[in-house]
Amino acid sequence: MIGVVPAVLLGLVIACALATAVLRDVLAAIIAFAAYSLGIAMIWVLLQAPDVGLTEAAVGAGVTTVLFLLTIAKTVRPPGDDIFESLDPTGLLVAVLIVGVLASTLGALPPVGSAETPVAQSQVTDYYLNNAYEQTHVKNAVTAVLAAYRGFDTMGEAVVVFAAGVGLLVVLGREVFA
Amino acid sequence: MSVDESGNGDGDAVDVGEPDRSLYVESPIIMATVRVVAPFVFTFGLFIMFHGANSAGGGFQGGVTVSTVILMLAVAFGVESTRDWVSPERLVALVGVGVSVVLLMGIGTVALGGAFLEYDVVPIYHFTKYGIELFELGIGIIVSGIVTGLFFGLAAGASGEGSADRDPDDREGLL
Repeated sequence: MIGVVPAVLLGLVIACALATAVLRDVLAAIIAFAAYSLGIAMIWVLLQAPDVGLTEAAVGAGVTTVLFLLTIAKTVRPPGDDIFESLDPTGLLVAVLIVGVLASTLGALPPVGSAETPVAQSQVTDYYLNNAYEQTHVKNAVTAVLAAYRGFDTMGEAVVVFAAGVGLLVVLGREVFA
Repeated sequence: MSVDESGNGDGDAVDVGEPDRSLYVESPIIMATVRVVAPFVFTFGLFIMFHGANSAGGGFQGGVTVSTVILMLAVAFGVESTRDWVSPERLVALVGVGVSVVLLMGIGTVALGGAFLEYDVVPIYHFTKYGIELFELGIGIIVSGIVTGLFFGLAAGASGEGSADRDPDDREGLL
């Protein structure tokens, strides 16, 4: 039903997510969060989504960790020697409820790799797979969709990143990142 | 970056009560590791950006990977000296160049009489592929520049500089 490697990775991801939530030391929580991102990235690769996996590894495990580390430089460790944060029953209940509601939708998802999924049967997918190389001369159909067929979206995404940087500069009231 | 320069990084060490939490720790191990790893990560980032046309990857992933090199250098040699080395003005200019490249690729084809991003109208053999690679490169420049900029911006806030020397009324003109 589920292979050994995915099972181990899923266990790692869940353990790291729980550790991130309950660890008292912020530095330890950030390290657990980085490990969580790395585990998710490996799961993406297992699910045949290397593009998403690369993004998750670079952004989630790499850059976000460094940004978090910078952010906690101004914090101090809460007093006490406890390793774990004491759990708030209300928050725990809400979290369990949300996970339960989300998990109840899992049954509606098609099995991994199924040929019956709407995406695999869609005419749009067939069109891209059949025509991407002839029309765009690139072998990666994902890139063909992102940079050619739906290039307008991608240009907007790139400009949104630019706008985020400009927004930061406006908030800081500066002209350069310093 | 030489060893001498790395000494400048001491300036951004912040005393937050716990010495092990200061922003910069001068460690020969980290410096040596970053020196060895950085060129490979940089090359890999450029590879992801360019080769995204034929394998997994693209401008966003490659850009973040390239910016990771700057982040590594900053962790190893100090944020302050790395920022001076990169030069913040150059960073902003670079991002502007990236946006211009992306807009040029999109609207340039319209100017040549084609549709938006219709690479075929450019009279260069195989331009569709080169055009897509250039488009991805522009995205990569934007993403790497902005991620590096966010890092420097956060670091400046974390080391407590900047805000103190600014009059709060300065911001009124912006809004």
